[in-house]
Amino acid sequence: MSIAEIKVKKPLRKKTTLAEKWFTALGWKSFPFQREVWEAVARAESGLLHATTGAGKTYAVWLAALNQFALLPVKTKTPLTALGRKRAPVAAPLTVLWITPMRALAADTERSLKLPLEQLELNWTVGMRTGDTSAAQRAKQSRRLPSALITTPESLSLLLSRADAKEIFATLKMVAVDEWHELIGNKRGVQLQLALARLRHWQPELITWGLSATLGNLHHACEVLLPQQDVNIVQGKLGKDLIVDTLLPSTTDRFPWAGHLGLRMLPQVVSEIEQCSSSLVFTNTRSQSELWYQAILEARPDWAGLIALHHGSLDRSVREWVELAIKDGRLKSVVCTSSLDLGVDFLPVQRVFQIGSPKGVARLMQRAGRSGHAPGRPSRVTIVPTHSLELVESIAAQDAIAARRIEPRHSPSKPLDVLVQHLVTVALGGGFVEQQLFQEVRTTFAYRDLTVEQWRWALDFVKHGGSSLTAYPDYRRAIPDENGVWHVPDAHLARRHRMSIGTIVSDASMSLKFWSKGGSGKSLGTVEESFIARMKPGDHLLFGGRLLELVRVDQMVAYVRPAKGKKATVPRWNGGRMPLSSELANAFVDRMVAAAEGKFDGPEMQWVKPLLDVQIKWSALPTRDSLLAEYMQSREGWHFFIYPYAGRNVHLGLASLLAWRLGRIQPNTFSIAVNDYGLELLSATPIDWIKHVKPDLFSENNLLADVIQSLNVGELAQRRFREIARVSGLVFSGGPHAPKSTRQLQASSKLFYDVFQSYDPKNLLLIQAQQEVLRQELDIIRLTETLSLMRAKQLNLQCIKHPTPFAFPLLVERFRESVSSEKLADRISRIVADLEKVAGQGGHGANQDRQAEVQFGVSEPERVKRKRVSKDGSPMINRPHRKSGF
Amino acid sequence: MREFIELEIGAAKVMLLAEKAMYWPERELLFIADIHFGKAAAYRTLGQPVPAGTTVKNLQRLDALLNKYPIKAIIFLGDFLHAPESHAPTTIDVIHKWRKAHQETACILIRGNHDKRAGDPPTKLQIEVVNEPFILDALAFQHSPVTLENYHVVAGHSHPSFQLRGRGHQKITMPCFHHTAGLIVLPSFGEFTGGHPIEVLSDSRVFVTDGSGIWEPNIKKLS
Repeated sequence: MSIAEIKVKKPLRKKTTLAEKWFTALGWKSFPFQREVWEAVARAESGLLHATTGAGKTYAVWLAALNQFALLPVKTKTPLTALGRKRAPVAAPLTVLWITPMRALAADTERSLKLPLEQLELNWTVGMRTGDTSAAQRAKQSRRLPSALITTPESLSLLLSRADAKEIFATLKMVAVDEWHELIGNKRGVQLQLALARLRHWQPELITWGLSATLGNLHHACEVLLPQQDVNIVQGKLGKDLIVDTLLPSTTDRFPWAGHLGLRMLPQVVSEIEQCSSSLVFTNTRSQSELWYQAILEARPDWAGLIALHHGSLDRSVREWVELAIKDGRLKSVVCTSSLDLGVDFLPVQRVFQIGSPKGVARLMQRAGRSGHAPGRPSRVTIVPTHSLELVESIAAQDAIAARRIEPRHSPSKPLDVLVQHLVTVALGGGFVEQQLFQEVRTTFAYRDLTVEQWRWALDFVKHGGSSLTAYPDYRRAIPDENGVWHVPDAHLARRHRMSIGTIVSDASMSLKFWSKGGSGKSLGTVEESFIARMKPGDHLLFGGRLLELVRVDQMVAYVRPAKGKKATVPRWNGGRMPLSSELANAFVDRMVAAAEGKFDGPEMQWVKPLLDVQIKWSALPTRDSLLAEYMQSREGWHFFIYPYAGRNVHLGLASLLAWRLGRIQPNTFSIAVNDYGLELLSATPIDWIKHVKPDLFSENNLLADVIQSLNVGELAQRRFREIARVSGLVFSGGPHAPKSTRQLQASSKLFYDVFQSYDPKNLLLIQAQQEVLRQELDIIRLTETLSLMRAKQLNLQCIKHPTPFAFPLLVERFRESVSSEKLADRISRIVADLEKVAGQGGHGANQDRQAEVQFGVSEPERVKRKRVSKDGSPMINRPHRKSGF
Repeated sequence: MREFIELEIGAAKVMLLAEKAMYWPERELLFIADIHFGKAAAYRTLGQPVPAGTTVKNLQRLDALLNKYPIKAIIFLGDFLHAPESHAPTTIDVIHKWRKAHQETACILIRGNHDKRAGDPPTKLQIEVVNEPFILDALAFQHSPVTLENYHVVAGHSHPSFQLRGRGHQKITMPCFHHTAGLIVLPSFGEFTGGHPIEVLSDSRVFVTDGSGIWEPNIKKLS
């Protein structure tokens, strides 16, 4: 036997993989799903792995990559022996991309990925590149990227915009997309789909793995990540025990009807926190987390240092400190928002509290999964209702989990704003040829049926700013050269594009810093500019769990100093408000229907029974065959309430539609309020609801045309346009780091919306805004289904004397839309006349109640008139107090 | 619905016009604040697509006023051109053509902050350019909305707007004239200029316009 033959034989011998080696060394045992992934990657196959958090997904995919690529020779002539004892002078080039949806996760992922490298003595490096990466780190990376790079979709697009993009990804072999379920349903996911298409164009053999929590539609999730490919769907461990329960309010103490933060539940929550060694308290908004943190500290001053606050607006260093402290078990409890929904494994967390509605089944399961990570320990989440109907939501969520009814997520379809941004990115990243890129873009799921017309329009948009017929003079962003390769000719534009890559649109924010003589105090985080704009120096605010006094505002920085005293405003961050998912809403309706039939199973239903009894006494409950509606007159005007239980988005569409259809009978302006249970139409002029609310109001005839008409007279499309304008580069948002010279470009998107409406109404971005409103905000498909369900039922229209338990939350809702079919001049004249009348009587106080505004955390800064509330908590409107009966 | 509201300021009777301008009948003068010619063009040059047509629309609205009232001179209260990039030939040529059609009407520009950056309009436009304050009788015309001792000031700059709130949670935001002691601020005239909410003072009078009508809402209860 010759020496040459032995050399050939050696690699053929079945040997232990790196993964097995490492697991054996640690005394761990691999799970079947992990071995499944390792084997699939060894066959160079792609796929989707789904399992609950903490099940070991990361190592399934990471070790598969190491098995496959870590022992490849690295630019040296002598191949490495098994464990790289002969250390090569340079680490392996960029081989694996690890995409994570949150910057906060990157650091934790980096730690996890590094672990086996050190113990196996592999010549690989791991690095991060996110919005948080320092300039020095970036510079180092631009010389040589690590073997595995952890990054976000936005930072990946930024890398693609580099002129040498093709070269830096030349050695790439595999992409792992962590928390894919968080990306699939939004434009960030679309941005990633486009980026993956680019990478696959350069590396057709690229292996892609998605890591996902359980979704209602796994096959779709897989198809979006890996279009036109045969793939593996690997199911990980799912059998983790999940306990969902409700913290029932003490029976003697009734809590407010709605719209509250649930602080009444504080004593009980505190005593529950006391009982567990470590817990997370999830709230739905950042403002709510600030208030709860403060309240818990006030209740238990001795917990100072043992509890912490975590939300997305806090400074990164603070957030990282908190994350580490939970991991190390140094904290008893953390009050947090969705900023801790994902990723980072907190082994010590024993129990999770959810303040207020969980809004969705998947979301509740995800949050529950943050606790009890250790094997054998169950995950436990306790819902803390902030108003009575959330008790029903809580038990409905338990029903849905038991029946495994989990929300699906769908990829957006052809968002042109993201495409336009991508075109400029690719033009910067080495340029593109039209036909090739068109084919490439069409390989993505989102753009699989992009038409030639739409493609042409997008090209024209980056070239002329509009369709070629209405070419805008003086304008150009990307243009083809004589060889047909598109480039960005202007360096200023290139820089500005790189600054605005991304699809998340946030309000203009300011950084918050401690005031010191030199002006270089410690950074606390960010607050929205609109919030600071309403404050004066000397005013107090609550931020990061501290009471602060505004000192001065200078150049997008708000300076503060510690303050004493009690009264403070809590910043309001305009986060999107999540609608109740269909799955949860359906489970909720089932419980209502059961209640109407007299069935009140479970402690939650028993507790809420008195409230439902009042609802029955004053009005009625919805049943399987009847649709409940109520009307009422108050000082504000003529109210109409209806309860389809279809989630706030559908209700918004429905309300706009009803307002528009009613307005056709008689021009009018309606103010609209919606929540997850129903909607309110409010007219300032008399309206005969009995006469006008007829089945044909809910007709499907002309539905689309009517909804579009109602959009044109409403404010919704304009709000959606804001995001589209930003993503497509129409509005440059700049931000605190933008150079001064760009400030002159900052105009409000409303201004843009108006100018496009008047001078270029056919602009496709306007049309996209409209379509996105239809699809996402109003959910036209669910709206159509809802309408047909509503028509199938008997309308039960009740005249009510005062707001019922169902109506009251809508009545006090302050975030309102309006839909008007009146002439603007008529509206103004009427309001002016009203003001005249009111001024005469001296009754109508319209001053802003800023204190009240603080309590709610979301919604517009708008005056709220506190409803008079009788001693037992029932609202009184234009009516003498009547005993509520419970 | 009224097309104008008469007001006495500094012993002069003026008319606040629904068209977002002020007219002084005795002297036959028209006052225009913040027209921001070439703003859209400047955006386009800097890579932001904005449809064309705003300049033409501005001029049409000026024409409508010239046809409606006898006007000897138009006084622009600053921010005539938006930015240096607004000197684009497409914009200037259109204004030049308009100017030639109205040679009998004098034009005076009181420099505003944008004019200082953008530079004076080209001489062929025949616009006399002066610094603030520009004094006529007891009135001082300025770009900056600040009071001046012994004079009643007419100014622009702040693009005032006001939110009307009515019954049934209704609200509408509109451009407005904002009158306080010794100072009246005119709404911005230009298309594509937007507004900023005013801070209502105890002696404020507010006149809102929608371009075709003008109203004075009772704001005593709102302030």
